[in-house]
Amino acid sequence: MNVSISTILDQIIAAVPLFKPELALIIGFICSILCALFLEKRWQMSTFVLTICSMLITLFFLTEQLNISASGFSGMWLVDTLGTQARMVITAGAIITAIFIQQRHRENNNGDVYSVLLAATLGVNILSSSSNWLLLFIGIETVSIASYVLVGYFSGNKAQSEAAMKYALFGSVCAAVMLYGLSLIYGLTGDLDFQSAQHMQGLMVAPQSILVLALFFVFVGIGFKLSFVPFHLWSPDVYQGSPTAITAFLSTVPKVGALILFTRLYQAWSSTAFFFSELSVWLVIVVAIASMLVGNLAALRQRDVKRMMAYSSIGHTGFLMMAIFAYQDAHSYLMFYMVAYVIMNLATFIFIDRLEQQTGSTQLQSYAGLGKSFPMLFTAFTVVAISLIGLPPTIGFIGKLMVFSAVFDLYQSSGDLAILALLVVGALTAVISLFFYFRIPLYAFLRQTEQPTAQPATASKFLEIIGYILALLTVLFGLFPHVLLNLF
Amino acid sequence: MGLLSILIFLPLVATLLILALPSAARASYKYIALGFTVVQFALSLFLYQQFDPHLGGINQAAGYQFVEQLSWIRLDLGAIGQLEIDYFIGIDGISLPLLVLSTLVMLMGIGASWQVEKSPKGYFALLMLLNMAVMGIFSALDFFLFYVFYEVMLLPLYFLIGIWGGERREYAAIKFFIYTLLGSVLMLLVIVGLYFSVVNPATGAHTFNMLLMMDPNNYSDGSFFSLLSNYHEIFGVPARMIGFVVLFFAFAIKVPIVPLHTWLPDAHVEAPTPVSIILAGILLKIGGYGIIRICYSIFPDVAAQANWWIALIGVVSILYGALNALAQKDLKRMIAYSSVSHMGFVLLGIASLTAEGLSGAMFQMVSHGFLSAALFFLVGVIYDRVHDRYIYNFRGLASIMPKYTAYVAIAFFASLGLPGFSAFIGEAFVIIGAFNAESMSTGIPRWMALGGSIGILLSAAYFLWTLQRMFFGETRLQGGKAWHRALTDLNRREQFILFPALTLALLLGIMPSLVFHKLNASVLQLLEVIKPYL
Repeated sequence: MNVSISTILDQIIAAVPLFKPELALIIGFICSILCALFLEKRWQMSTFVLTICSMLITLFFLTEQLNISASGFSGMWLVDTLGTQARMVITAGAIITAIFIQQRHRENNNGDVYSVLLAATLGVNILSSSSNWLLLFIGIETVSIASYVLVGYFSGNKAQSEAAMKYALFGSVCAAVMLYGLSLIYGLTGDLDFQSAQHMQGLMVAPQSILVLALFFVFVGIGFKLSFVPFHLWSPDVYQGSPTAITAFLSTVPKVGALILFTRLYQAWSSTAFFFSELSVWLVIVVAIASMLVGNLAALRQRDVKRMMAYSSIGHTGFLMMAIFAYQDAHSYLMFYMVAYVIMNLATFIFIDRLEQQTGSTQLQSYAGLGKSFPMLFTAFTVVAISLIGLPPTIGFIGKLMVFSAVFDLYQSSGDLAILALLVVGALTAVISLFFYFRIPLYAFLRQTEQPTAQPATASKFLEIIGYILALLTVLFGLFPHVLLNLF
Repeated sequence: MGLLSILIFLPLVATLLILALPSAARASYKYIALGFTVVQFALSLFLYQQFDPHLGGINQAAGYQFVEQLSWIRLDLGAIGQLEIDYFIGIDGISLPLLVLSTLVMLMGIGASWQVEKSPKGYFALLMLLNMAVMGIFSALDFFLFYVFYEVMLLPLYFLIGIWGGERREYAAIKFFIYTLLGSVLMLLVIVGLYFSVVNPATGAHTFNMLLMMDPNNYSDGSFFSLLSNYHEIFGVPARMIGFVVLFFAFAIKVPIVPLHTWLPDAHVEAPTPVSIILAGILLKIGGYGIIRICYSIFPDVAAQANWWIALIGVVSILYGALNALAQKDLKRMIAYSSVSHMGFVLLGIASLTAEGLSGAMFQMVSHGFLSAALFFLVGVIYDRVHDRYIYNFRGLASIMPKYTAYVAIAFFASLGLPGFSAFIGEAFVIIGAFNAESMSTGIPRWMALGGSIGILLSAAYFLWTLQRMFFGETRLQGGKAWHRALTDLNRREQFILFPALTLALLLGIMPSLVFHKLNASVLQLLEVIKPYL
């Protein structure tokens, strides 16, 4: 470690351009705090506008990085196509969330929520552009702390406070466990970059029992963020308890970051000779199958739409794990499914929110007979549900098809029966998911209404239109997937 | 844009038009639907007239007619290679009769929907969407395209049964959906498998082209469904066998065969009359069509091996369906089970792998198409009037509804296979084919033909018995005077719908060449494909 301070400084300065998108977020974050403090009283929209601007600038900087593959800050910060694309999806998702919040929470919103949103976005961005455990931990914690605040931010009743509390407690324990695991790994390898040769070397010579323990601890942290089985227990309560705009955010944006991290990790480990590579393949298969089964089966029993979506997103995580598993060197599958997932989920929550305003409830029961009053809304909702099931001609179908193709290709070359099981479970859970997703049109169109529905005071037309656009995109990208895929 | 594309996408235009019109114009929806379907029917007749019967089709692109091929999705997927999906449509002798049949039955369905009061906008829009999907299924030659149309068909049907159906409509709709989806999701896995096994010799990319899948030379060595070096096994079963069985399972649900038939009586009983008509008249044929076009053509080697079992399933369906029909007390359920029985003949005919049997199977599908449509319409007539279908609640209808009785009698006699009607030709050819199969050594024993003939006998029993119970004897109605008043005879619209179907039954019974002539070359071509493996 005999590097002179001036060299280090030079390195840091040289790496700053790679960090431009995040710098935009950081500056936006600081400015939005000040803005919320001083400007918000005089000009209600100021923080929101500032937030959107800083995210748009981030997007602009990201487009500049699209074809760059580089690393900076002593190899801690990675810029590659996968990460940049993921960060673009993340930022786009965050913009929609910001609009969602702005449209829905006009009262008792003093603008602070946007700065927290920016912080969360920053955290997810960090997650998707590093292979260094230390930086990753910072990223995970940034997202987590911001998420705890977001969940509790608008809490008006006990259930919402409980959700925030549960989330914070469960999250901190998982973070602590993960940090402990990381310290063990650092102790074993002396290197925090999981892609580096020294790290692998260290892992290979380490005693197996302690290594397994350490890795297990690390996976607790990632599993919490991804909410795969068995670390999914928090998500139904939190999804149900938080304001719908926040649920929409939680179910999409942080997952993208965590998935990219998991992908990098899996890619770094699965192809090496150390004993865990085989284990990590098994881990992914087993976790994927368990998540798909548990998520979809539990969703069958839900009576609350948000809870149902929580379980269904656990199921989708399982499917995404399958995509990670399929990921060999064509990452377009993963990105495609991720974009599909983000579009579908955001649209779903926008519709759920719209109906929540209408009926004051997120119970499926309350949708009974509403199809007649809102034919357009429920048609779009049904289209999104079809996409979530994975039926043609929607983006969800193409996403599933591509993951199936990639996994099948692996099966063809290896002939491993576990992979076949993965495929079959993936297909069967699609059938199971039909049951609960189709409850939405079932209640809306097939059941008769019991009481007349009250008209809402302020329904946001703008948000509804965004929902329709997203629903339209699911069909358009389903019919012409190459438009989207050629971007990746 | 070719004729076939116009045929497929005309209904979509109708759907958009209906959706765009304000609800003030609700009276016009049915006329729009009718107008577009009439144009479609005319178009399909034109295709029929222009169709060259000497071209075989099946596995040769040159043998297809009205072909359109546009590249649709082209993706570079890195290590997995190039994704090649085409908008590839065309028809041969197998699809042509079914297309004409579909447009006719669709027309009957629209006619039967004339009095739909409950949200007509959604109803006719969905009906037209269904229409588009059906046309697409019978024309698609790209497996991906086929699958898209196949799944799109499910959604309108779910809502048509679920919203406009009877009392237990929710249950029936979801049961129907789940059954079909289960089959098709597993089918998707096989499609993916086939996709990876087949290489387009022209471009070197993997392809979803069905015709290329039928040529053993296009399978890359050692690929999953590879034909020549068939060493892929799952639990000791050859991969191709599994692929065939899964696809057969998917289509058998649609046919439906015993024991996968249980969705059918429920769906039929709960569905509104027009949907029952379309379900029986068109959608069941998709099962038979899929078995011929996909299972037998893409997996001829396995088809030759599995033949005995498929014929057995056919015979069981014939007998089981007929026995069940005999036991029903609900008129619509009885006809639903008779469909199971009649579609069993299709399976037996296909499995016979003789020219007579295959032609008979195709003919049976066409004949059953409009006959079952007519039968369900006839049930709908009586149900519309008194909202009851229980056979024992009616007696002596002949004296109060003479015209209706005449139509029912003709439809029943036609369906039970009386010589001179179309069903006779279909069933007779299937039986002849199955009987000859032993001497052609296609693996079907003679007793199966015997089983089929017993099925014909049973169908005579349940049809005649129903006729006797409901229509003859002294008039006695469950609903008394009120029913007596309500049960008016057929009106002009109803006769107008029924007449063509029954005329066609008679016409095809006398001149079967109208169908046989067009499909002969294709049947022979299909046999050519399978023959090397027998």
